[in-house]
Amino acid sequence: MNANRELPAGGPTEPPEEPVSFYAKHEKIHPREVNGRFDRLRRVAVFVLLGLFYVVPWLKWDGRQAVLFDLPARKFYILGLVLWPQDFIFLTWILVLLGLSLFFFTALAGRLWCGFACPQTVWTEVFVWLEHAVEGDRARRIKLDRAPWTPGKVARKAAKQALWIGFALWTGLSFVGYFVPMPLLTQDILTRSLGGWALFWTLFYGAATYVNAGYMREQVCKYMCPYARFQSAMFDRDTLIITYDAKRGEPRGARARGVDYKAKGLGECIDCTLCVQVCPTGIDIRKGLQYECIACAVCIDACDGVMDKVGYPRGLIRYTTQNALDGRPSRALRPRTLVYATLLTIIFAVGFSALLMRKTVALDVIRDRNALYQETARGEIENVYNLKILNKDQQAHTYRLAVEGIDGARIDAPHTTWRVDGGEVFSVPLRVAVPGGIVKGGHDIRFVLTDADGPAARVIEKARFIAP
Amino acid sequence: MRHGEPDSISGELDEPPVSAWSRARRDVAVVLWPSFLAAAVMTMFFFAIFDPVDIGEGTALAALVANHNAGYALGFFFFWAFTTLSSALSLYLVRTESQLGRTDVGGPRP
Repeated sequence: MNANRELPAGGPTEPPEEPVSFYAKHEKIHPREVNGRFDRLRRVAVFVLLGLFYVVPWLKWDGRQAVLFDLPARKFYILGLVLWPQDFIFLTWILVLLGLSLFFFTALAGRLWCGFACPQTVWTEVFVWLEHAVEGDRARRIKLDRAPWTPGKVARKAAKQALWIGFALWTGLSFVGYFVPMPLLTQDILTRSLGGWALFWTLFYGAATYVNAGYMREQVCKYMCPYARFQSAMFDRDTLIITYDAKRGEPRGARARGVDYKAKGLGECIDCTLCVQVCPTGIDIRKGLQYECIACAVCIDACDGVMDKVGYPRGLIRYTTQNALDGRPSRALRPRTLVYATLLTIIFAVGFSALLMRKTVALDVIRDRNALYQETARGEIENVYNLKILNKDQQAHTYRLAVEGIDGARIDAPHTTWRVDGGEVFSVPLRVAVPGGIVKGGHDIRFVLTDADGPAARVIEKARFIAP
Repeated sequence: MRHGEPDSISGELDEPPVSAWSRARRDVAVVLWPSFLAAAVMTMFFFAIFDPVDIGEGTALAALVANHNAGYALGFFFFWAFTTLSSALSLYLVRTESQLGRTDVGGPRP
């Protein structure tokens, strides 16, 4: 045992001089606002992504909601596509594609997702804007928080909460709008009859947005996000990262304006700490790449602004690769990105062609369990089946049914062709009759459903025929 | 960006910009969030295959899951409860692991 090495010098009973607290005091975060190229880019991303989120539930397609996950009917509508539970593989496919894309873009350009597209980021951004609109910039917010509770402060805080809660509720409602048709939802709200699960999920999603974007913010990225922890598995020396050019910046230090810093032995970092002040996760990018960095690039914007002011070239903090920093060439095309790109292409192509070739009709056969068989007056053996024809297409189709597998077998039903509306499940109880004496015991038969309209769409479903 | 005069740019940090979460808060977060994600994925896969109304049929649950939305919601919270339990147990095991008995800290095991 080398216990002595791990214990403080004063001996085992004496507490260390500054005890490490696991219960750090929670202080409110007041990130400083920044303007710059990347901040503008994020604004665009926020408007596009959140715009889509709030607008899409209102869009129509062929007289129905364009994107609707109709859970009660167990059907998903995505533009011209209708997915049934049987098509669940395609949802998995979409998830796999999204996951691989995340890997691909991370390998290429770091945590683009975190800085510009993650819901946590975009909603936080909006909540920060609302806060800024009501309470002013960082200095004013700090002052306001320290000030006593005057009526003015109460009014400002109340206004902020009203904006936040209103926005959160609207968000929750839009979320539910993906599952409950929007017209129905708005009608329920207007008549104040919104209730049950729709109300519950509106409040649930709204509350989650409020807490996540209003209060937890980038702490979610630091403590709760798994992606942040396994980013190193996707990064390499050719990945675009936000980094501080230590060669150029060090040794850092304050200086008076116009002083020849090189003569004083200083680098170009004036140590203004703005990059630290603006960082929403509170790291010092000058210490190198850290997992807390969500690549929001506000430090680049802040530093560029300072460099402009002091008359140094921009880019002391910039998007670059480790190789470029070390003076080596960076490659976008490399085994890692090529493998991700190839996988993406293959999986996309396979899934997409499967989607195009997917049959628009499905047939379900359930044998009636009440009776094994019946003998008719004509000497035939009959079995009863319940058939379900699913027309997964959006248009009506005419289907023709035939039975195969036993010579002389025929379908004993008033019709063998049916017209099924788009998106409908059509149930047909029917009997299959086989002349007596041809088969004994159990025998396999096949129901063949042919699409009379479509180009040779055919489904075959096996069933069991039982004779004495 | 509005900041003071360039001459006044100095290395003062008027307050730490970001605070750390307390351990208790972190514990709650790391238990609830991954279990939420797992439960969400589980709900999706489970109900893609099984219809909650079919499951409820003929059981004591029938009245509860009489409509689909209730079935999905109950299913989700059911899964979340158990994924939370699993996350919490994992966290508990990691947290209560004996630190004193560790011999692998300062070098190879004796």
